Amino acid sequence: MKRTILALTLAIAAAASAPPSPLSAQGPSQELTGRLSLSGAWAIYPMALKWAEDFQKLHPGVRIDVQAGGAGKGIADVLAGAVDIGMVSREVNPAETAKGAVAVPVAKDAVVPTVSRRNPFLAEILRRGLRREDFVAIWISGSAPSWEKLLGRPGATAVRVYTRSDACGAAETWAAFLGQRQEDLNGIGVYGDPGLAEAVKRDPLAIGFNNVNFAYDARTRKPVEGLEICPIDLDGNGRLDPAESVYATRDDLIKAIAANVYPSPPARELYFVLRGKPQSRLLLEFMTWVLGTGQKDVPEMGYLPLGPDRLAKGLAAIGATDIRK
Amino acid sequence: MKRLFKDALARRGMSLLAVLPGLLVLLVVLGLFLKSRAILGVEPLSRLLFGTSWHPLRGEFGLFPFISGTIWVTVAALVLAVPVSILTAIYLSEFAPRFVREFSRPVVDLLAGLPSVVFGVWGVIVVVPFVGGVLAPLFGTSSSGYSVLAAGIVLAIMIFPTIIHISLEVFASIPASLREASLALGATRWETARHVVLRKGSQGILAASVLGFSRAFGETMAVLMVAGNVPAVPRSLFDPGYPLPALIANNYGEMMSVPRYDSALMLAALVLLAVVLFFNVLARRILVRAERRAR
Repeated sequence: MKRTILALTLAIAAAASAPPSPLSAQGPSQELTGRLSLSGAWAIYPMALKWAEDFQKLHPGVRIDVQAGGAGKGIADVLAGAVDIGMVSREVNPAETAKGAVAVPVAKDAVVPTVSRRNPFLAEILRRGLRREDFVAIWISGSAPSWEKLLGRPGATAVRVYTRSDACGAAETWAAFLGQRQEDLNGIGVYGDPGLAEAVKRDPLAIGFNNVNFAYDARTRKPVEGLEICPIDLDGNGRLDPAESVYATRDDLIKAIAANVYPSPPARELYFVLRGKPQSRLLLEFMTWVLGTGQKDVPEMGYLPLGPDRLAKGLAAIGATDIRK
Repeated sequence: MKRLFKDALARRGMSLLAVLPGLLVLLVVLGLFLKSRAILGVEPLSRLLFGTSWHPLRGEFGLFPFISGTIWVTVAALVLAVPVSILTAIYLSEFAPRFVREFSRPVVDLLAGLPSVVFGVWGVIVVVPFVGGVLAPLFGTSSSGYSVLAAGIVLAIMIFPTIIHISLEVFASIPASLREASLALGATRWETARHVVLRKGSQGILAASVLGFSRAFGETMAVLMVAGNVPAVPRSLFDPGYPLPALIANNYGEMMSVPRYDSALMLAALVLLAVVLFFNVLARRILVRAERRAR
């Protein structure tokens, strides 16, 4: 599977890198040339593809390959020197930093809890939302409570809990929201973001979680057909106030993340991880471009751009001084 | 002189190449062992193999849920696959008209050549809902469908071709004269199949099943997609399981940042390799003996 995905993404990346047009070839005297390779988190993959495409249009001599395979693979690959940039959708831990990982935040998105649209308690869930304690009870404590108990009424319909089986940023971030790590999450492990969305869609009693860009349809900007976002009752008052209901469209949710209404985690920064400071001019140029001009692509792709302070910090981390226009 | 030299060269060269695959297995075992020494040094083997708590970040590396998950899934697959495969092979070799046999052989072999991820996707789309929505209510339990049984069904379909193919070979090696003798005594075809063909081929069938077992034991992707991947010892067919290969595939990327994690995964790989190797050698030996006896 991993190899198939890899081959597929390579093919897509190759197709995305359209042949350079001779018109755009006039540039600075020392035109950038060379190859860059990226691998890692599914969460950043669509964004990275877009950046790669645009950057290659600007610099026809540059080839950028992007592969998806999970945050774990991204960090492993970059630290092993197999790729130039690892895409990581969770916090980089100290052991990885000690091995030379330099994490540069490039965008923000979030993980959202999801339920099936066929859930028999759907109306009640959407009206009340679930509190953080409820999520802890569902995913962390040994046996999940019934749906009725969560919604404060009599009955005993079991909640079917789902999580991710592969080492990934989404599960790690969701676990961080609940004060734990991925290995502490209970539930049936399903491989990959699309797999988890599919499983929750089909099981009326399911609860799971997804990256924003797998929970929402990129075209309609509404939740994916058959899937419903499980709202979070942030103040724990037992009902979903208008201020808390931010899930109708992807744009609403992104706005809520920006305004810090949607908590962080499960909102999280997405990182490009390098091994040490960039050694090649090409890598440095690409990184500064991503943190500068590249940020304009971020909202339309369904992510949240970073604030100026985070961008400046990222630039400092790679040793670049100013944002290139 | 030149011809003789060429002959010697070819012999030497090819013998060297022939040694290589054998050597590779040894190298893999050695590599895995060296890598897993870090954990074998600090944790007693019994705790690693029979511990039930898997929390690498807390330093708990009990592999038992995964070992038992593998065994559950494999046994479920074998129970489903072996009878069906053997009856299919008997039909094809003893009863079926020639054109059916000619036609079904390539079909069976095609099934063997399908990539396992195809079986996995098909399992998620068809088998998981079937187990969760039809079989579980039938047996009076509730299940999401991601279960040992779903994995067993998918695996059974994946090992059909192996068992059918080898059983057919075994039946083909049984001399026609034996069948003719039996038929001449007035036995029906079924009696001949049961008392002569099956009897004579019993060891070969055993070997075929063992080879099927090895395939099932190590199969990763298809199982990973339908087994549910919950690191707990399954208590029924409808519980999720987490087989060893899935553990390795799921966590390989993440392991380097946690001390001893990679070592534990290497140990899991070593256990897997040892079991598969053992059963393969066993099957080989049985098969060789069966062939010798058939002659």
